Amino acid sequence: MKVTYRWLKNFVDIKISPWELADKLTMAGLEVVSLEKTGEDFVLEIEITSNRPDWLSILGIAREVAAITGRRLKLGVGCSVLGAQGKSKHQAPSTKNLIIIEDKKDCSLYTARIIRNVKVGPSPEWISKRLKLVGCRSVNNIVDITNYCLFELGQPLHAFDLDKLSQEEIRVRRATTDEKIITIDGATRLLGPEILVIADTHNPIAIAGIMGGKETEVTLKTRNILLESAVFNPVLVRRGKQKLGLQSESAYRFERGVDWEAVSNASWAAQELILKLASGKPSEFASLGAAKAIHHLINLDVAYLNKVLGTAIPVLKVKQILNRLGLQVKTKTRNILTVKAPSFRQDLKLPVDLVEEVARIYGYAQIPPTLPAVKPGRKVLDKRDVICGIKNILCGLGLDEVITYSLVDRDLLKKSGINTAAGLIEISNPLSKEQEVLRPALFPSLIRALAHNLDQQQERVSIFEIANVFSGQEKAVAEEPLLGLALSGVNSFFTKQGLARDQITLLHLKGILETLFNRLGVRGFDFSRQEDHKINIIINQKQVGFMLDLTPQILGAFDIKNRQVVLAQVNLEKLFGGINLGKKFLDIPKYPAITRDISFTINEDIPVQGLLVAIEAKGAPLLDQVKIVDYYQGKQIPVGFKGLTISCIYRLDSRTLTEEEIAPLHNDICSLLEERFGIKLRKA
Amino acid sequence: MDINSIQAQIEGDLAKVVSLPALEEVRVKYLGRKGLIAELTSSIPGLPVEQRGAFGKQVNALKNKLLGLLEEKERTLKTKDSVLKKSNLDVGMPGIAQELGHLHPITQIIDEICTIFNRMGFSIVQGPEVETEYNNFTGLNIPLEHPSRDAFDTFYLKDYSKLLLRSHTSPVQVRVMKTQKPPLAIVVPGRVYRPDAVDASHLFMFHQIEGFLVDENIRFSDLKGILELFAQSVFGQDIKMRFRPHFFPFTEPSVEVDISCIMCKGKGCSVCGRKGWLEILGAGMIHPNVFTQVGIDPKIYTGFAFGMGVERMAMLKYGINDIRLFFENDLRFLRQF
Repeated sequence: MKVTYRWLKNFVDIKISPWELADKLTMAGLEVVSLEKTGEDFVLEIEITSNRPDWLSILGIAREVAAITGRRLKLGVGCSVLGAQGKSKHQAPSTKNLIIIEDKKDCSLYTARIIRNVKVGPSPEWISKRLKLVGCRSVNNIVDITNYCLFELGQPLHAFDLDKLSQEEIRVRRATTDEKIITIDGATRLLGPEILVIADTHNPIAIAGIMGGKETEVTLKTRNILLESAVFNPVLVRRGKQKLGLQSESAYRFERGVDWEAVSNASWAAQELILKLASGKPSEFASLGAAKAIHHLINLDVAYLNKVLGTAIPVLKVKQILNRLGLQVKTKTRNILTVKAPSFRQDLKLPVDLVEEVARIYGYAQIPPTLPAVKPGRKVLDKRDVICGIKNILCGLGLDEVITYSLVDRDLLKKSGINTAAGLIEISNPLSKEQEVLRPALFPSLIRALAHNLDQQQERVSIFEIANVFSGQEKAVAEEPLLGLALSGVNSFFTKQGLARDQITLLHLKGILETLFNRLGVRGFDFSRQEDHKINIIINQKQVGFMLDLTPQILGAFDIKNRQVVLAQVNLEKLFGGINLGKKFLDIPKYPAITRDISFTINEDIPVQGLLVAIEAKGAPLLDQVKIVDYYQGKQIPVGFKGLTISCIYRLDSRTLTEEEIAPLHNDICSLLEERFGIKLRKA
Repeated sequence: MDINSIQAQIEGDLAKVVSLPALEEVRVKYLGRKGLIAELTSSIPGLPVEQRGAFGKQVNALKNKLLGLLEEKERTLKTKDSVLKKSNLDVGMPGIAQELGHLHPITQIIDEICTIFNRMGFSIVQGPEVETEYNNFTGLNIPLEHPSRDAFDTFYLKDYSKLLLRSHTSPVQVRVMKTQKPPLAIVVPGRVYRPDAVDASHLFMFHQIEGFLVDENIRFSDLKGILELFAQSVFGQDIKMRFRPHFFPFTEPSVEVDISCIMCKGKGCSVCGRKGWLEILGAGMIHPNVFTQVGIDPKIYTGFAFGMGVERMAMLKYGINDIRLFFENDLRFLRQF
């Protein structure tokens, strides 16, 4: 909200500069977000928190200024509408039948003044200028006066052209289905039973508390006016403005709650100004509803206040601060004060509300910092620690972490080959297509991030993300953490011989997962091919995830050209089940091993896994380990074959093996390879 | 040939040696498989039985002497510059190592902040991103139809009434306080969602870190103490701080915390909007209504809570000027951290 320095000065003697004032307001909870000199005056823009509707007026801010500068609030002089209060000679006869309120819950108080024979014209400069400073356009003297009162006193007012009403009657009622109104901004608004309107005998003439109607607005031709000042239900106003997508200065104040005691005051002040600036004659005044505002009584224990704040503020000081804020304070006992909140402070209900008020004015800066004793929680290790560990391992393996949006568009899922027909969780109020659904998988977002980086001419992209994915259950939403990895391009690294370039394949991905699983103490993991492009990741016979070699269709959908992209997705909850971070020491082998390598070519359709298992079975118990130490496909190997070197490591824990002992066994293994797998051994 | 003359011959040969290969030749000549020592050893069985023992000892002594001499010679040769092969390594060439990957800057900031609070004794807890309307609003003293909700625009889920994407990490307060008894010292990092129009400082998804401390006798002054310690840990000992009154429905008194601008040191620049101050977090004493909602007696317990935007912290700390960079995941960005 905007206020001006000089306007505030109508209500309180400010002896400090605008800059000092801005700083003091900020430190009291009225954050001044900008301060500008405009002509002779200064405009302060203040961010008003939603709990303080009383600050939505010059008068309200002036009250605060008085409290923080220790000065008295004075009734306005000069340009202030309150300046003439009490001196009026104009009394209008009151009338009973002018107003009908259909439901008092919708509108607890409605007042109307009829002023006849006004002269509508431009406003005097002091009004239009001030309105302009606080961001309000000048229309004509009548409309400007209602706005001026709104900004100065915080009570929204509205003036109707009385002669445009079908009868001299005001009905406060709900709109009917399909009822329409053209508002003063020229737009046609479709109303409904959830919207409160002001109507004449037949039609709506204003949307209550939000905006007036075009038909009855005050124009240069207007002669007689009806001036409205009322209290509307805040929730109704809020629903109405949300439904209509309509914001206004009135609605802003009504939905936060206006001061009931200001209703007639503002109406009266506006009438005084109208008589002064647009002449006219007050003719009738009507008021319907309870004009009694609620005053909360709160008992404040000063010991409690000091306990919550960690201070030792004396009772006298507390009393003084509350008084300065316009609260009535009575001493109940030595330490307990009974505080009566004024009608404009409906936010004050609990003792803690007063604690905040005292702290604010006393100054947060005056409260000394202390350090509490923090008692440690019972948890020692949690999944987050494991996740941090996983991230660090992957970074150690050269992968970069990405963070992608949990909300995605359906197209992204479709492009990735995911069925979008069912099971997706939709957002009911997305702002754009990119926020359509909660993602059921990580890898589509990873493909997109990867494609983006390939577009930037990255030679190698190896990324991972750990995040939750979502799926719909009966009446609930399942949320599971996943690990996703995506790799593409060429690993290039220096060796002593120069740059080595290594095309990334599924085996690189497998290697990363193996290293990760081993580091996490996962036992019994395995990889098994499910489809041409898909390999399942298995831990303890249960599938925990998969690896994908992206098909040309998916690559095409993402505009990835001439690249192989491999990715993996692992369900972390399932992985956690296989993690075993306990360590157990095994004796370092006392006796040396004998290693025998076997080199051969093998038909590439024969899986090596079966080969290794057969060798292990044959070699037990002297054979300690068998592993592939080299493989090759290329020039020297016939098409459809791969070259392999297998290392057989023979070792016993009880004694040193001799060459003679293992020679026949190793020969058996070689024969096994030749006989069972049809392998021709290459002579080393 | 007797042992003594062999020893003299060895010494003569070694004296002539000036290079490592020449030394190797001498070694082979005497100690090789067909060397002199082996020859002497193999001649032992041909000797009369009574001579064998003495001769064997002599050969052994000779062998040990020779080994010592060879070792000594090798040492002298190796320390002589003239014999050292000149290194042709150009240290200007790139080093050879496996390249490390990078943790996302958001992860790094979250880890840093969590570690600071961990050290103070806070535990880390996480909560679901899909939340109930109750945990996100009502339980936190945010009325459903009140302008105080405007600060928390929220994504709702279709087909699941009363479920939404949490618009802040505070619902975890409700979850923890409903299931655990004080004393509580918790920090909660996580993703949050708000339907904000996207620009350089707004996104529909971002990260927050929430923290709260609940016990008997927790005071506003404790909030100041802990948050000062925290800000100094992140931004340095010299940082100035100010605590401004503010409003949050779930805390009272509420506060916004500013630090002196880390760019201009408080003089006023474009980063701090010429104010000299940067807002870094919101906090306050947990509202008695929140305690009542979760079944903690506000007459016995008090506590404070705070919350901060991780992206904002990262932007301030690293001087990043566009929040969208965090989720574009361009490697030229990510690899800077």
